[in-house]
Amino acid sequence: MQRRLANFNIWTVGAVVIILMLFLPNLTIVTGFFTPSNDNWEHMKEFVLRQFVINSLILTLATAFFTILIGLSLAWLIAQYDFPFRRFLKWALILPLSIPPFIGAYTYHGILNFTGAVQTTLREGFGMELDPAYFDIMNLPGAIFIYTMFLYPYVYTITQVYLSEQSASLIESTRLLGKGPWRTFFQVVLPISRISIIAGASLVVLEVLNDYGVVKYYGIQTFTTAIFQSWFGLGDLDTSIKLAASLMGFVIIILLIEKLLRGRRQYSYFSTKVRPLQLIPLSGWKGFAAAGYGMLILSLGFFIPVIQLIDWTILTFGTIPMEEFLRYVQNSVFVAGLSATLIVILALIVGNFARMVQGKYTKLLPKLTVLGYSIPGAVIAVAVVTAFVALDGYLAPVYMAIGLETTLVLSVSIVLLLAAYIIRFFAIGYNSIETGYDKIGTNFRDASRLLGAGPTKTFFKVDVPMMKGAIISGFILVFIDVLKEIPLTLILRPFNFDTLSTKAFQYASDEKIMEASQASLLIVGISALAIVIFYKILEKEMD
Amino acid sequence: MKKLLSFLLVLGTLLVLAACGSSNSSEEEPAETSGDETETASNEVNLYTARHYDVDDELYKKFEEETGIKVNLIKGEADELLERIKREGDATQADLFLTADAGRLHRAKEDGILQSVSSDVLDEQIPANFQDEDQMWYGLTKRARVIMYDKEKVDPSELSTYEALTEDEWAGRVLIRSSENIYNQSLLASFIELNGEEEAKEWAAGMVENFARDPEGGDRDQAKAIAAGVGDVAIMNTYYFGQMLNSEDPEEVKVAESLDVFFPNQDTTGTHVNVSGAGVVKSAKNQENAIKLLEFLSAPEAQETFASVNYEYPVNEAVEPSELLQSWGDFKEQDISMSALGENNAKAILLFNEVGWK
Amino acid sequence: MFVAIEDVSFSYPNTQAPALDRFTLDIKKGEVISILGRSGSGKSTILRLLAGLERPKNGRLVIQDETLFDDKTFLQPEKRGIGMVFQDYALFPHMTVAANIMFGLSGMKKADKKRRMHEMLELVELEEYEKRYPHQLSGGQQQRVAIARAIAPNPHLILLDEPFSNLDAELQGKIRKDLREILKKANITSIFVTHDEKDAHILADRIVKLKDGKMDFVGRPCDMLDTFRQEAIAESEEVLKSQPVVNV
Repeated sequence: MQRRLANFNIWTVGAVVIILMLFLPNLTIVTGFFTPSNDNWEHMKEFVLRQFVINSLILTLATAFFTILIGLSLAWLIAQYDFPFRRFLKWALILPLSIPPFIGAYTYHGILNFTGAVQTTLREGFGMELDPAYFDIMNLPGAIFIYTMFLYPYVYTITQVYLSEQSASLIESTRLLGKGPWRTFFQVVLPISRISIIAGASLVVLEVLNDYGVVKYYGIQTFTTAIFQSWFGLGDLDTSIKLAASLMGFVIIILLIEKLLRGRRQYSYFSTKVRPLQLIPLSGWKGFAAAGYGMLILSLGFFIPVIQLIDWTILTFGTIPMEEFLRYVQNSVFVAGLSATLIVILALIVGNFARMVQGKYTKLLPKLTVLGYSIPGAVIAVAVVTAFVALDGYLAPVYMAIGLETTLVLSVSIVLLLAAYIIRFFAIGYNSIETGYDKIGTNFRDASRLLGAGPTKTFFKVDVPMMKGAIISGFILVFIDVLKEIPLTLILRPFNFDTLSTKAFQYASDEKIMEASQASLLIVGISALAIVIFYKILEKEMD
Repeated sequence: MKKLLSFLLVLGTLLVLAACGSSNSSEEEPAETSGDETETASNEVNLYTARHYDVDDELYKKFEEETGIKVNLIKGEADELLERIKREGDATQADLFLTADAGRLHRAKEDGILQSVSSDVLDEQIPANFQDEDQMWYGLTKRARVIMYDKEKVDPSELSTYEALTEDEWAGRVLIRSSENIYNQSLLASFIELNGEEEAKEWAAGMVENFARDPEGGDRDQAKAIAAGVGDVAIMNTYYFGQMLNSEDPEEVKVAESLDVFFPNQDTTGTHVNVSGAGVVKSAKNQENAIKLLEFLSAPEAQETFASVNYEYPVNEAVEPSELLQSWGDFKEQDISMSALGENNAKAILLFNEVGWK
Repeated sequence: MFVAIEDVSFSYPNTQAPALDRFTLDIKKGEVISILGRSGSGKSTILRLLAGLERPKNGRLVIQDETLFDDKTFLQPEKRGIGMVFQDYALFPHMTVAANIMFGLSGMKKADKKRRMHEMLELVELEEYEKRYPHQLSGGQQQRVAIARAIAPNPHLILLDEPFSNLDAELQGKIRKDLREILKKANITSIFVTHDEKDAHILADRIVKLKDGKMDFVGRPCDMLDTFRQEAIAESEEVLKSQPVVNV
C-alpha cells in the first residue's frame, strides 16, 4: 500500500491535517462513549430508550425510502423525457430545499390546524365540521411527510445531474435491446445511479438524525430527544454525550454500508464521449401526468408553504423595521457564503486525497469528517466551544504580545461560528465533491501529469474545471444549509449578531409563527435565488 | 469557465476580507473595556439571554438611551447558553444571564457561574420570594400556569384543582403539551415540592390516563385543540392566552374568545407560578452595569411594559398587572421557593418518563 | 541503449501473483515496440509503471542515461518526459483541441506554443480543427489529437495503450499506417500495447509477447511468425502422435 502512495506531497499533508481538524472536536464525543454509565443512563435505558430508538429508525428509514422514491423518479423523468414544464421543473424541483424543515413543520401545522386555512375554509365556506384528527399532522407520519417534502431534493439534485451527464449510450443501448422504460429504469438506471442515490439518501438520513426542531414541535420522541433530555433536563452532559456517541456509532455503520454498497465499482465517465441524452417526448396524457406529478411535488414542497408564509407576512407586515432585516440578510449571506466557499475548498483537497490514496482503510479516513453532520448541532457547539477556549488558552501569550487584554479572542469571534459550520456541513460539500471526483475518474489527472503538469497545476487546470458542476452544487447546498441553520448559529454567534434564521427561530420558538414568517420568507427567497442563479450559471457552462 | 473561477475567487476574497473586518470589530469591542472590573467607566454590558421577545429589545434600547450603557446580546436557548458560559470559564464575556424559568436559574447557581449581588433598589423592587435566597438571581416577571376551559362545554364550578383533572370524569378531555417542555417540568417539580414524589407521580400518571390525545404542539395548540373539540380543558401559560386574544389572525382571536381562564388550587396549594429572571455572572467584567440593568428591568416603567406588551405579571408590587390580566382576577400563588423548581427538575423528568408522559 | 528496462516486477496490493515478473527490455532510439498479450497479461501495467503512475516492486528504468526509477529514486510522472496516449484518449473535455495540445507545453513563449501546436496539427492532419472541442470530433480524430498532444512536448518515449480498440475496422487500417508514419516522421521511440497481432505486425519494429506477467517472446514480427509456425507444427505433431495408430 505504501509503495503505491506514489503521490506524497503537500496536498496529502494538507488533506490529513484538514481531516484531523474536522474530526478532533468529535473526538470528545467518541471518548464520552467509554465513560462509565450512571443512574440516568440506566433510567433512560429502562424507560424510554427503546421507544426512542424505534421512532428514530422508523423516521429515518421511511424518510429515506420516500425521498429516494420521489427524488429518483423525478430525476429520471427530467433526465430522460420531455414533457410540458420540464425546463421549469428541472430547477424548480430543487426549491423545497430552501425551506428549513422546522419552518415547514410550523407552516404545515399552521395550514392544517383548527384556525388554519383548510379547516377554516371547510368550516365557514362549506359548514363542514370534520374530525380535527384528520388534519392532525403532528405525529410520526406527519414528520415523515415534512422531512420527505423538504429533503427529497438532496436525492433529486445529485441523481439528476448524474443521470444527465451519464454516458447516454448506456441507457439508450438498453432501450435498443428491447427493454421497456420500466426495465431500463430498474436494470440500468437504478444500478448506475446507485452512488448518487446513496450519496443523496445518506445526507437525508443524517439530516433527519440531527434535526431537533421538527420532532420537538410535533412531540415525537426520538434519539435526539433523549440526548437533549439528559443534557438539559437532567443536567447530565455525560449521558447525553454517551447517547450522541451511540448515534455516531450508528452513523459509522451507515457509512460503512454505503462504502460496501458502493463496492469496488466506479462508474466514471470514460473518455470524452459524453453527449447529452436524447430526450424522449412524452405526448398526450403521459406528458401531462409527468408534468402533474412534478407540479404536485413542487406545490407540496414549495408553493403551498410559501403562499402561507406570504399570507402571514402580509398579516404581520411592519412589525419589524425594514433596515433591521437588511442587516439580518447581510449577516446571513455573509456567513453562508464564506462557510460554503471554505467548505468547497477543503472538500476539494480532501476529495483529491481520497482519490489518490489506495488501501481500504486510508480511503475511509475522509469519511470520518462527515460525522459532524450526524450529531445534533447543540452537541457540536459544546465540542467546538471547548476546543476554541483551549485554543485561545494556547494563544494567550500571543494576545498578550500584541497588547490585547482579554484571553478569549477566537472563541468570541465569528471564527468560532465558521469553524462550527465547517465541522457540521463539511459532509454536504464533500459528498457533492466526492461524486464529482468519482465521475471524472483518474485518467484525466494521469494524462495531465504525463504532460508535465504537477499535482497543483493538474488540480486547478484539469480537476477543478471538470468538476464545476459538483463544485457549484456543493456550494449551493452548503450555502442554503447554513442559511437555514439554527442551533449552532444561535449559540455560537458573537454579540449582537442576528441572522434570518435566528430571527425566525426566535419567533417560532415562542409560538409566534406568524411573526416568524417574514424572516422565514426571506430565507426561502434568498435560498431560492441562490438556486436559480447558480442553476443559470451551470446551464450556461454546460452549453 | 475562467469567468466562473474568477467570480468564485473574487467572492471568496471579499468574504475573507469581510470576515477579518467583522471579527476584528468583535474582538476590539470587548478588548477596549475588559479589565475594568471595578470601574464604572465602562459603557457596556454583555447579556446572554434565553428570552426572545421583541419587548425585551425595546427595553434594552431604552436602557441604552437612559444610561449610555450599550447592551450587547447573545440570544439562545437557556441550557446551551449556560453550557457556553461554563465552557468559557473565567474568561467569559457574559455579565448577565437571563432566562425564562426558575429551574434554569437555579441550575446556573448550582453550576457556580453566578455571583451574589445586592442592591437596595433591587430589594425594594423585587419581593423576597422572587429573589434567590443567596441573591444570586432575581425574578423579573411572573407567569401563571392555569387551566383553560371551553366556555360552552365546561362550567367553571366543575373545576377546582390540578389534581382534580386526574379524576375519571375528565377521562379523554384533558390537553397539555409534552413533558419535554420546561413549563411542565417546573409544574411537576412544584408538586414534588408541595406533595412529595409519590403524589406527584400519581398526578402525572392520572393525567396521562385522561389525555385527550398524545401531547403535541405548544401551549397555543392546546387552546386550539379545545376549540376544535379534541378536548375540553387545557393547562397552559397565561401570556399565551393574552397573545392569542390580541393576535393578528382573526381565527386565533375567535378561538381565544371561546375560552376562559381558571386559576386552580385556590383553596389548597395555589396556582403554579414561574418566573423569568436574571443573575450576574461570577466573572462578570461589567458587574456594575449588570446590576444597573437588573434595576432598570425591575423598575416600574419596565415592569409595566412587560405586563402590557407581553401579558406577564410584574414582580414589582408597585406595578399593577395590565387591564387584561386584571380582568382574569386575582389569584393565590403556590407558596414555595422558586429554587425548588430547579432542585426538583431532574426528578420531574424521571417521573414523566416513568409514567409514559410523552 | 536509449531506453533500458531492467528486472521490473510489480504486483497489485492484496494479490499474490505478480502482475509483472522481472520484465527486461532495451529499446533503441526511434524504435517502435509492440507489447502483445491477452487482457490480464500485465501489458497495460508495464505502461503505467514506465509512466510513473504505479510504483514498481523492484527494477530499474533508465532513459538516455537518466534513471527514472530504481531502488532509491522515483521520478514523478510529470518529471519523466514520457508521453502517453490513453485507451480512451482522456482528452480534456473542457478544452479546445488547441488547448489540449498546448497543455503540455509549459515554459514556452505563447507564440512558440502556438507554432508547436500548429506543427502538431499539421503532423496529424487536423489543421482545421484547432477550435473544436473533443466531443465535436470523431473517434479517429480524437485519437489523432491525443497523439499530437502526447508528442507535442517532445517526449523521449511515447506510450500508447490499445490505440485502436475504440475505432471501427475500416478506420483501424488507415490509422495504423498513419500512426506508423507519424511516429517515424517524428523519430519518436514508442511502446504500444495491443491484443491484436495484426496491429503489432504492421506497426512494430519489435514485438514483446507477454503471458501471465512473464515475457513469452521477444523479436521481430517475422520471427514471431516463425516461432508460431514451429509451435503450431509441434502441436499438430503432438496430436498426430497421440492418435492411435491403426494397422491395416
